[in-house]
Amino acid sequence: MPHVELKSLSKQFGTVEVIRDLSLAIEAGEFCALLGPSGCGKSTLLRMIAGLETVTAGNVVIAGRDVTQVPPAKRQISMVFQSYALYPHMSVRQNIAFSLEIAGAPKAEIAEKTQKAATLLQLEPYLERKPAQLSGGQRQRVAIGRALVRDPEVFLFDEPLSNLDAKLRVQMRLELAKLHQELATTMIYVTHDQVEAMTLADRIVVLDAGRIAQVGSPLDLYHRPENKFVAAFIGSPAMNFLPAAANGGEGRAVSVDLAGAGSLSVETRHDGAGKTSGTLELGIRPEHVSPTAPADPSAVIDGRISMVERLGNATILYVDTAAGNIVVEDESESEARIGDAVGLAFEPGRSHLFAADGRVI
Amino acid sequence: MLATNNKYVGLLYLSPALLFVAVFVLYPLVQLVMISMTSESLLGGGEFVWFDNYLLAFSDRSFWTSFWFTVRYTLIITPILMVLGFLLALLTMQNRALNQIARGVVFLPVVIGLASSSLLWVWLFDQQVGLLNKALVDVGAIEQPMVWFNRAHLGMTAVIVSVVWKVVGFGMIIMLSGMQSISHEIVEASMIDGATYWQRVRRIILPLSARAILLATLISAIGSMLAFDQFYLMTGGAPRGQTFTSVYWIYQNSFVYFKLGYGSALSVILMVVIMAGAALQIALQRRGESA
Repeated sequence: MPHVELKSLSKQFGTVEVIRDLSLAIEAGEFCALLGPSGCGKSTLLRMIAGLETVTAGNVVIAGRDVTQVPPAKRQISMVFQSYALYPHMSVRQNIAFSLEIAGAPKAEIAEKTQKAATLLQLEPYLERKPAQLSGGQRQRVAIGRALVRDPEVFLFDEPLSNLDAKLRVQMRLELAKLHQELATTMIYVTHDQVEAMTLADRIVVLDAGRIAQVGSPLDLYHRPENKFVAAFIGSPAMNFLPAAANGGEGRAVSVDLAGAGSLSVETRHDGAGKTSGTLELGIRPEHVSPTAPADPSAVIDGRISMVERLGNATILYVDTAAGNIVVEDESESEARIGDAVGLAFEPGRSHLFAADGRVI
Repeated sequence: MLATNNKYVGLLYLSPALLFVAVFVLYPLVQLVMISMTSESLLGGGEFVWFDNYLLAFSDRSFWTSFWFTVRYTLIITPILMVLGFLLALLTMQNRALNQIARGVVFLPVVIGLASSSLLWVWLFDQQVGLLNKALVDVGAIEQPMVWFNRAHLGMTAVIVSVVWKVVGFGMIIMLSGMQSISHEIVEASMIDGATYWQRVRRIILPLSARAILLATLISAIGSMLAFDQFYLMTGGAPRGQTFTSVYWIYQNSFVYFKLGYGSALSVILMVVIMAGAALQIALQRRGESA
C-alpha cells in the first residue's frame, strides 16, 4: 500500500486550474521530488498534501488514512519551508521544542527530543541563539530539527535550499541525503533545480502546468524521456531539438531527413514506429554529439562554431548548422575556436524522436 | 571629497524637514520654556521669575488632582483601546472583502474631529433626548433616564465610551500593519506544529506584533495624557472640577485665569512626565525583546 496517495487531485484558484486531475502514489521511505518550472503547481501540490491549501477535488491519503479534510497538525506531516519560517522571537531550542511544548509533552521528553535533534543536526552550540544570529545553513538545520522532533510519517520540503549560496546548497544536499538514509522516512521534496532532484530523489515527478509530465527514476527521466517537455527540462546543457522529416523505416527504426544533412536512422521505443510519417523533432543531448573533421564520414551534419565555453572538465561548443544551432559537450580539452568549421557525429542509439504533439515515438 | 560632498547633499535633502522641525517644534518649545520662567499674563506684562512657577506647581493641589485624574483616565482607557484594537485587528486580519469593509467601518470615526464626536456623544448621553438613556431604560438596565455628567466616575465612563468609539480604529490599523507583516510561512509553520488558533495568537502573533502594539500604546497613552477636548465638551470639568484633566487645568490657568507663565510651567512639567513615561515603556520593551 502506498504511504502517500494522491487520488485525482485538482485545485482551482478562481477560474485558474493549477492542479489538474493528478494521481500519484509514493511508497514508504521513498524520497520523491516534485520537479518543474515556476508556476507548474509543485508548491501548491505540496501545500495540498500538507493541508495548507484546500483541495478542489480528489483525495489525499497518508498512511492509509484519508486526510483531505484533516487540519495540517493532524496529518502526521512536518514541513520545511523555503524561507525556513523559524519563529524569530524564540531561541533555537524553543523553535525545535515548540511543537512538543504546545502538544503538552512532558518536560523530560521535550528536552530529550530537542537534544537528540540538535546532536543529529550539529546544532548544540547554537541552542540558545535566536534565528537572526545564525547563518543560512544553520537556520535550515533548525527548520529540519523542528520538523524532526515531531516524528512525522512524511517530511515535506518546499524548495528548502533555494535561499542558500551554491556551495552551501551542495553541502546541505549531502546532509539531506544522509538524513534520509538515516531516518528512512518518506520525504516529498519540491524543487525547480533538476540537480537537487536528480541527486536526492529515488523518484522524480516532473510537473507541467498542473499535470504529471513523467514519473520515474532520475536516470530513467534523463535517458528515456516520455515527451519533449521532460527531455528539454532535464539535463544541462539542454537537449538539442532539430526539425526532421520521417522518411520510411522498418520495425522500430525510423529514417529521418535533417535539414542540411543526409538521412539518419533512429531507433525508436515502439514497434511499428517505422511507419511514422510527417514532421518530427529529433532530440539529442549535447554529450551525445561529438565534433569531427568537416565532411568526416561519421559526421551527420556540418557547421561552424559560433561560441566556445571552456568549463575545465568539458568544453561546450555552440555550432551553427543548416538544421539550427546545436550545442555540443566535448569532454576532451578541445582546442576548437570560434569560426572553425566542424562536422558533428551523433552517438548511435542516443537520439530521440518526438511527434508534433511532443510525445516520444 | 566625494564623501564631504555627499554630507552636504544629504543635509540639503534634510533641510526642509529640519526647517519644519525648527520652526514648528524647537522654536515653540524654547518659547514655552522661556515663558514658563516668567509671570507673563495673557493680557500682557510680566517679569522673569526663574523657577517660581515650577515651585508653585508642586504645591498646587488642583494641578495634581487633575494630573492623577488624567493618569487614572489613561490607565483605564489605554488597556481598553489596546485589547479592543488587537481583537479587531485579529478579526479583520485576512484580506477578505468583508474584513476590508469592517476595517473601514471601525476606522471611520478616526477621521471625524474629536470635538465633533464628543458633541455627538453629548447628545447620545443626553438625559432628555439621548438614545443611550432610552435604550438602557428599554432593556431595563436603568429605571429612568440619568444624568451622566454630574458624577465624576460616570462622566469619565461616558468620555471613555465616546473616545473608544472614536479612536479604537487607529490602534486597530497600527496593530493590523504589525500582524500583516508577519510572514505567512511562520503562521503556517505554527499550524503544522499543531498550534491552535489561540496558541498561535498568544505564542506567535502577539510577540511578533509587539513593536506595533508598543507604538499604538505610546500614541494612545500620550493622547490620553493630553486629553482635553472630550472633557471640555462633555463634562466641562464637572462636578466641581473633578473631571479636570492636566491639559484642561493648563487651559484654565492660561486662558481663563490669564496666567500664561504658570500655564507654560505646567505644560513643561506634563511634557517631561510624558517623555519619561514613554522612555520607560520603550526601555521595558527593549529589555523584553533581548531577554
